[in-house]
Amino acid sequence: MMISFSERLSVAPDVLFRLVGDEGVLLNLNTTLYLGLNPVGTRMWNALTSAGSIQAAYDELLAEYEVEPAQLRADLEEFIGRLLGQELIVAGPATEEADRQA
Amino acid sequence: MECVSAPAAAFFAAIGSSGEDGRSDTWYRYVVLQDGSTYVRWDSVGEFLVAADGRRITSRRFEDASLESFQVYMLGQALSFALVRQGFEPLHATAVVVDRHAVAFLGDNAFGKSSLAACFLEAGYRLLTDDLLILGESRNRALAYPGPPRIKLFPKIARRFLGEGAANRVQMNADTDKLILPIDEHRRHGGPIALNAIYALVAPRDVYRRPGVTIETLSPREAFMELLKGTFNRRHVNQPRLERQFGFMARLTDLIAVKRLTYPRTIDRLPEVRERVLADLARDVRSARDVEPGFLH
Repeated sequence: MMISFSERLSVAPDVLFRLVGDEGVLLNLNTTLYLGLNPVGTRMWNALTSAGSIQAAYDELLAEYEVEPAQLRADLEEFIGRLLGQELIVAGPATEEADRQA
Repeated sequence: MECVSAPAAAFFAAIGSSGEDGRSDTWYRYVVLQDGSTYVRWDSVGEFLVAADGRRITSRRFEDASLESFQVYMLGQALSFALVRQGFEPLHATAVVVDRHAVAFLGDNAFGKSSLAACFLEAGYRLLTDDLLILGESRNRALAYPGPPRIKLFPKIARRFLGEGAANRVQMNADTDKLILPIDEHRRHGGPIALNAIYALVAPRDVYRRPGVTIETLSPREAFMELLKGTFNRRHVNQPRLERQFGFMARLTDLIAVKRLTYPRTIDRLPEVRERVLADLARDVRSARDVEPGFLH
């Protein structure tokens, strides 16, 4: 599933997230799906669901990890695709703050 | 919680008013009735009606069921529905007491929880509960609560670890050789006690031809998932319950070390497993002092 990095992601309604140690666990109350995230996945989740846009989360993660930009982009796209597929996040327009930064 | 018995007509009326026909082609039957109560029955054992708020269990023992067998189902499966309705999250675990701390063995049916516990009893440790574990919390510590003073074992295991006479006991139901063995006061612990660790037993099918005994500390995420798998009651799955269960398992993950225990399922190896668990616990002892009971919701 293709998604524009100008969009903003937020946690889907009826999805619970909790940090246990440095890892995240998720529950989709509608599908009863439980999911565990490793520390990197947890960091990506936090960045994606708190940033004003996917691009802003990408910039944040690129500054934080030693990773090739193209690799990070590919990893994020795959991760986002899986989260959307499991109905754990929803996409919407970027916040005004993210627009100003862009 | 109130437990009362009732004649067949009471169950017939409850099921009839819900539009269910009350018949079953399987030995186990589960129905949520229109008023929110839960009807469960096991052929050759009995039938139970658990009130929507979990405060009342109405039961009927079938004529061909022994009292011991009936009580196992009432204080296990049927009780779990009432506990969940009341906001508890019982685990499918058997627990023993080691150095004033509870140690729980988590696993599905036929994973060997009771057999491993029996091996601990042989060495003088006490049983806290068999099969259904209720947890509480006090001062950031998890507390384990005692269950009925009995254990369910196959005759071979019972003879080996509890003595020759132990095998002359009541059969759990017509479809299994498992026995129900009472545990006297010298072999059981009767009050809440701090929980030190949970060992999640690897399924017997997954240890086939793996000769070693291994103990691996799980990451919080892995621990959460193991605890989730170890929930006693998987039938009641509405959103409030799932939400509560999610919070409970995450909280428990914060409080308790969860380990994965892998071992071959042969009786002769169980003492070795016991010693490995004891050695592991000795490295990870926490104080059980100054705890006051309170239930973990």
